[in-house]
Amino acid sequence: MNRWKNFKAGLIKDNPVFSLYLGICSTLAITTTVNNAIGMGAAVIMVLILSNVIISCIRKITPDEIRIPVYIVIIASLVTIIQMLIQAFAPSLNDSLGVFIPLIVVNCIILGRAEAFASKNNVLDSAIDGLGMGLGYTLAVVVMSFLRELLATGGCTITNPFNVSQVLFSFSIIPEEYTISMFGSSVGAFVTFAILAAVVALMKNKEADHIALEEKEAKKKEMEAKKAAALEAKKGAKAV
Amino acid sequence: MKKALQLGLFLAIVSAIAGGALSYVNGITSPIIEENNLAIEKATLLEMYPEANEDDFELVEGVSSKTIQKVYKYNDFYIFNMKVSGYKDGTTYLVSIDSQTEVIDKYQALSNGDTKGLGSQVMDEPFKESLEGKSASGELDTISGATVSSTPVIEGIHEADQVLKDMK
Repeated sequence: MNRWKNFKAGLIKDNPVFSLYLGICSTLAITTTVNNAIGMGAAVIMVLILSNVIISCIRKITPDEIRIPVYIVIIASLVTIIQMLIQAFAPSLNDSLGVFIPLIVVNCIILGRAEAFASKNNVLDSAIDGLGMGLGYTLAVVVMSFLRELLATGGCTITNPFNVSQVLFSFSIIPEEYTISMFGSSVGAFVTFAILAAVVALMKNKEADHIALEEKEAKKKEMEAKKAAALEAKKGAKAV
Repeated sequence: MKKALQLGLFLAIVSAIAGGALSYVNGITSPIIEENNLAIEKATLLEMYPEANEDDFELVEGVSSKTIQKVYKYNDFYIFNMKVSGYKDGTTYLVSIDSQTEVIDKYQALSNGDTKGLGSQVMDEPFKESLEGKSASGELDTISGATVSSTPVIEGIHEADQVLKDMK
């Protein structure tokens, strides 16, 4: 149950992008198309799981003083390996993601999870945390890029990352004269990000209010029960 | 002192393992990457000149600069593989110039890493049509709204033309 909670937290409640505000730089830059978002999401998931697992494995032998440089060496190597693999096996994805793959090195989600979770927990929990957080990041960038692509181009196209000419899914619902090209630029990225972050904050606030209300009611019931017990005790004393 | 040495040694071991892993993956992927790039280039050359065979494109040795990656010769045409800057990642393209008349015969973009719908217009048909048939040394039109991406492409064509003049 705890593991499931841990995994689920990264998706919405502790979503790294819209809730923890980590990795915003790459989020704003790559969310022009859903294709880019899926590719970047997959790369981040791979790096996050592997870095969390490796860092968790060596957590007991890593000296505390140099843990950050060690994490950075591991993360940078993993990102470079992933970049080389993408270049070799999905060159079209490499073309569209361009400079953003090396930027995963400085993506705060990865170092953040290494420091906050993987360095303190066992391998399995760290892998689950990496998967949850990676999926949370992917979910965030896919939703954001879907909205941006839809508003900027009037539709959405997903192609095979290994063969860009093979369209897997495509639709167009907004006529060209009604599209808003601003959403394809960085201004649109900030606007979309702000709206989605506000929605997540609203959801979190509602949940917090709900929890607070439940706690209040539980306290009230407790107080009433105590009062009733005290009254009964008094009655009992009188009867004696 | 002993502690510092221990820390240094640990970091060195981690770096050595990471370096070894990188070198192993690089050994596997670099021939594939090289092969991919060559295949794309060859396919584009054949798309530009469908009547040619793969072996008809003769690689011209000894010409390279920051922007000119390779030069091929096919009949009277010199085909330049250019990589120029742009808004983000820039553009890689092939341009073939007639060595006799210095007219742009064909233009074909291989990749562009700039904003989709803006800078990426350097890969589109209207821009290609605006270049083909014009003098490589003359005035060429940039794309309005995407000048940061299209100006380096045009500057690259002028540079290729200059190299062609020097070769003659």
